[in-house]
Amino acid sequence: MNILFLKFLFGVMFLTLVFLHLTKKNFLATVAYSIQSLVITIVLFNSFLETNNFYLLLVVFLSLVIKVIIAPIFFTNLIKKHALAFSVSTYFSTPLILIIISILTFIAYSDKFLPLTSIIPNNQALLSIALSVIFMSLFLIINRKGALSQIIGILSLENSILAFIIFAGLEQSPGLQIGVIFNMFIWIIIASVFISMIYKHFGTLNVTSMKNLKD
Amino acid sequence: MELLFIIASFIGTALIIVLIKNRLVIELLSIGASFVAFISSVFIALKVSVFGIYTPLVFLSVDSLGSIIMLIIGLICLATTIYSVEYLRQETSKNIIGFTRVKQYFILLNLFLMSMFLAASANNPIFAWIFIEATTLSTAFLISFYNKPSSLEAAWKYLIINSIGLLLGFLGTLLYFTTTTNLGGNDFVSWQFLQDNAHNFDPMVAKIAFIFVLIGYGTKVGLVPMHTWKPDAYSKAPAPIGALLSGALLPVAFAVILKLKVITDIAVGPLFSHNLLIFFGVLSIAVAALIMFNAKNYKRLLAYSSIENAGVMAFGFGLGGLGVFAATLHMIYHSFVKVVLFLSSGNLLLRYNSDKIKNVKGALSVVPVTSVLFISGFLIVTGTPPFGIFLTKMQILSVGINTHPVASIIALFFMAIVFIGFLKHVTSMFFEEKQVDIEISDKHIWLIIPPLIFLVLVFGLSFYIPPFLYTLISDVAVKY
Repeated sequence: MNILFLKFLFGVMFLTLVFLHLTKKNFLATVAYSIQSLVITIVLFNSFLETNNFYLLLVVFLSLVIKVIIAPIFFTNLIKKHALAFSVSTYFSTPLILIIISILTFIAYSDKFLPLTSIIPNNQALLSIALSVIFMSLFLIINRKGALSQIIGILSLENSILAFIIFAGLEQSPGLQIGVIFNMFIWIIIASVFISMIYKHFGTLNVTSMKNLKD
Repeated sequence: MELLFIIASFIGTALIIVLIKNRLVIELLSIGASFVAFISSVFIALKVSVFGIYTPLVFLSVDSLGSIIMLIIGLICLATTIYSVEYLRQETSKNIIGFTRVKQYFILLNLFLMSMFLAASANNPIFAWIFIEATTLSTAFLISFYNKPSSLEAAWKYLIINSIGLLLGFLGTLLYFTTTTNLGGNDFVSWQFLQDNAHNFDPMVAKIAFIFVLIGYGTKVGLVPMHTWKPDAYSKAPAPIGALLSGALLPVAFAVILKLKVITDIAVGPLFSHNLLIFFGVLSIAVAALIMFNAKNYKRLLAYSSIENAGVMAFGFGLGGLGVFAATLHMIYHSFVKVVLFLSSGNLLLRYNSDKIKNVKGALSVVPVTSVLFISGFLIVTGTPPFGIFLTKMQILSVGINTHPVASIIALFFMAIVFIGFLKHVTSMFFEEKQVDIEISDKHIWLIIPPLIFLVLVFGLSFYIPPFLYTLISDVAVKY
């Protein structure tokens, strides 16, 4: 696949993360996650084209079904079921979020992380973007007060780590990749059940309303 | 073959429980599966002590450290399953839970135990990661078992913090595969293969990778500052699950750190990983000691004790040499004594219906046997002579005082604080005047026997270590 196209895909991934930080609507966040997962699936498909390993095609298929289709459907159903159109607020204000995102991106491109981003020197630009997306995903989880946003943050973190390892040439055998995807699938189901339970018990997805463990 | 028995018995039991509605059959099957796992883990440990390694399949391999951990899981799983049967019956009789919950409990318990055995025996870091993540998934609903807002909050915290930690651990683990990419390595890569190619590892990448691993798996171990989920999860989960989380899961996660530490040490020398382990170890001891002093909940007290002991282990492993021997032995003692403490805390909870220290008064006259178990556990876990933990702590400190005197003195100081803090709570719970309205009772034998056996076991191991176990621990000291 053309390197420019891959850069474009990673640019899309980066923008979805910025969007996830800014959006106030849960449905739009779900769509952004779906797009991000689609990018990863395309990159995985690229690996299949390069290796012609048909087990990788199975990985691509599972990634498409679980991350691009099923997970967003789960989240959309949750949003509809509990009328969660708007996401819970963030700890930081929007201008501050943008400043922190810029700093995180700068750090990812800095010399400090050169050993990581130059694992494959030809992919340095892509690895730097992937690293900045990892940092931004971590920040998303920390900054969001909503349980659903935190879940999407963790899934984004998983996507960004996958993007990093693909371009660092650290892809595992398809068997192990299927194991990881299966794990994430179970994780999504469990996290969705927990969201329903949280809403049932607390009447909100705002995790700051959970204050039963202060002793 | 033994490992396959373990996996088959747990999977088979979990599947059968889904289909049946007879409580007695569910209980007997679960005990049976745990018994198979216990016997098999003993056979595996004996084999490893003779042959050095046990590899039934290419993706499953058990070395000396793995066999010790499997032995720990095997013993604890049998005790906690037997205890769980009576514990859940008591809770059912009090209308706290119904049959569906009991069924759920045993399905998840079997899956949790299987995941731990597979993580301990995985011959590939990613395979190990998958099963450690599976332990998170299988225990999340066990922590929210009572379906109360507080237990749900604890389970959510556990799920989120551990998932973030494990994803960072995943990234760190994958960075170790940079040593194999030039070798055309898209195939199954074993621990040994990674170790053999560790000299190809870029030192800077190795350092970053180990930091991610220590943060990632350190979250599961409960090292400070990644420990925040631990007191909540331990205090809200049923008592036998607390025993498993503290006694069995902690060593499983620690083993992965140690295996990756060996690879890091080859690439960058041992100083880097040792300093990090010593730093996080002493920090964990200090923070746990300070919080324990003002604990208000006895199950949280036990959780902080686990954090302190994880710190002692990290400190010991960080010192290397004889410190590793002592830390491995400490791991065994700690796991066994935590079974005594968590199961006796379960008995206290059943009698007093409260996990608050202020609500438990005069326990020595209300539940005398349980009290003796808990007090003995307290004396052992805080390192009172002549028990084993006293010897391992002293051994670690005597190694440390030569190489890291400041860290050793800080550790010793906070270990003393732990004893004083724990003693304060034990005095308040067991020796003060009992409430007049509480019934004096310690009558359920199956709530007493499992912790009692572990008390005898830890007492016996304090004075005599079987030759096969000594061989295994010595081998760990050489390899790690």
